[in-house]
Amino acid sequence: MDLQALPEGCIANILSLTTPLDAGRLSLISRTFCSAAQSDSVWERFLPSDLESIISDSHQFSSLIAAYPSKKALYLHLSDHPLLIDHGRKSFQLDKRTGKKCYMIAARDLTIIWGSTPEYWEWITLPESRFKEVAKLLAVCWFEIRRNISTIILSPGTQYAAFLVYKMIDAHGFHLEPAELTVGIVGGISSTKSVCLDPNVEERHLGPNFQGLERPKERSDGWLEIEMGDFFNLGLEDEVEMKVIEIDSKWWKHGFFLQGIEVRPKIV
Amino acid sequence: MSGISDTERMITLKTVEGTLFDVKSSIAKDIKTVQAFIDDSDDDVTSPIPLPNVFTRELSRILDYLNNHHRFRSDIEKADEEMARYDAEFAKSMSHEELKALILAANYLNVKDLLEFLNQTVADVIQNKSVEFVRNFFGIENDYTPEEEEKLRNENEWAFNGVEQD
Repeated sequence: MDLQALPEGCIANILSLTTPLDAGRLSLISRTFCSAAQSDSVWERFLPSDLESIISDSHQFSSLIAAYPSKKALYLHLSDHPLLIDHGRKSFQLDKRTGKKCYMIAARDLTIIWGSTPEYWEWITLPESRFKEVAKLLAVCWFEIRRNISTIILSPGTQYAAFLVYKMIDAHGFHLEPAELTVGIVGGISSTKSVCLDPNVEERHLGPNFQGLERPKERSDGWLEIEMGDFFNLGLEDEVEMKVIEIDSKWWKHGFFLQGIEVRPKIV
Repeated sequence: MSGISDTERMITLKTVEGTLFDVKSSIAKDIKTVQAFIDDSDDDVTSPIPLPNVFTRELSRILDYLNNHHRFRSDIEKADEEMARYDAEFAKSMSHEELKALILAANYLNVKDLLEFLNQTVADVIQNKSVEFVRNFFGIENDYTPEEEEKLRNENEWAFNGVEQD
């Protein structure tokens, strides 16, 4: 029994019930399959239905649609190129494998304790940052960054994780006490973990309470990231709290450059 | 009182093999190809409606599916739960060959709900599978030249990471 007789529309329906990953791969089956696998009806299903309201700037939205007339091209563009939204305070991206929504919240849009005191934090421009401004730590003892977000902006039924995205250049002061990272649903389950934010300090220079702690990983864009914690988005209107804190060491810390906090699906 | 009366009109369907099935007109409504045939006929359809692309085995299963779904729908309270359980059993009971035969028949007869359900069943089968597996499953010949296939593979390189071994 073969399904050669199955019309292209029916194949497109089947593919729209798989994942972007499957539809991308299965275009290699045959010419008919390819035509179905590239069709707008398939990729329309993989794009967020509220894309227009996410981008919100109608001019930006229409020029994007004009530049990427096919839904697959638009999907690939949005998964490969973070799009600045909300007057550059956030970036929006699609997780390429699943089409789920990802956001990075710019440092400017986070609450940074002492962040508006120029002796402590400086706002600079880095060409490798997607945002106009990066927060450069000059000197603080009280190191604290936090932000709450509403889960309504995320894809429902999805396990998400929050990541701190930063750099350490000639950093000092992060080797005495671990930083505490917290992520959790406000009024629900929340978790806190201790990590070593500095990727460069040698093990022998670290305090005993650093034994076996997680360190940051390098991203493909050259920045460092460390997972702050995860949560499951049921699709209700929950509030998620994200927090980084190190105030125990009483040491002056510097050399930390913050791009933002990224919230994206957790690959299990 | 609403619902199906005992004297409901019956429609006769005839498969490729010549088997005749008597179907209530309320069920026939869900089979769009049959309904279109009835709508196009000027007067009452009394002789069997021939279905030149549908075999007895598939028609019997399709009617079974429709009858059960009609029965579930008459009990609003339990409808969703029972239907989900029935659908899961129905999907499990099919071999790949039967699934393919059924999807062709459902597509020809244009039975919307069933087709949607079968599309999902096929989607579940082919998810995360290799190109070779899916080609085999659909019984489709590779009609690309090696160069075209190479080019397409490069374009969709990202979609080849982490595929299950069949």
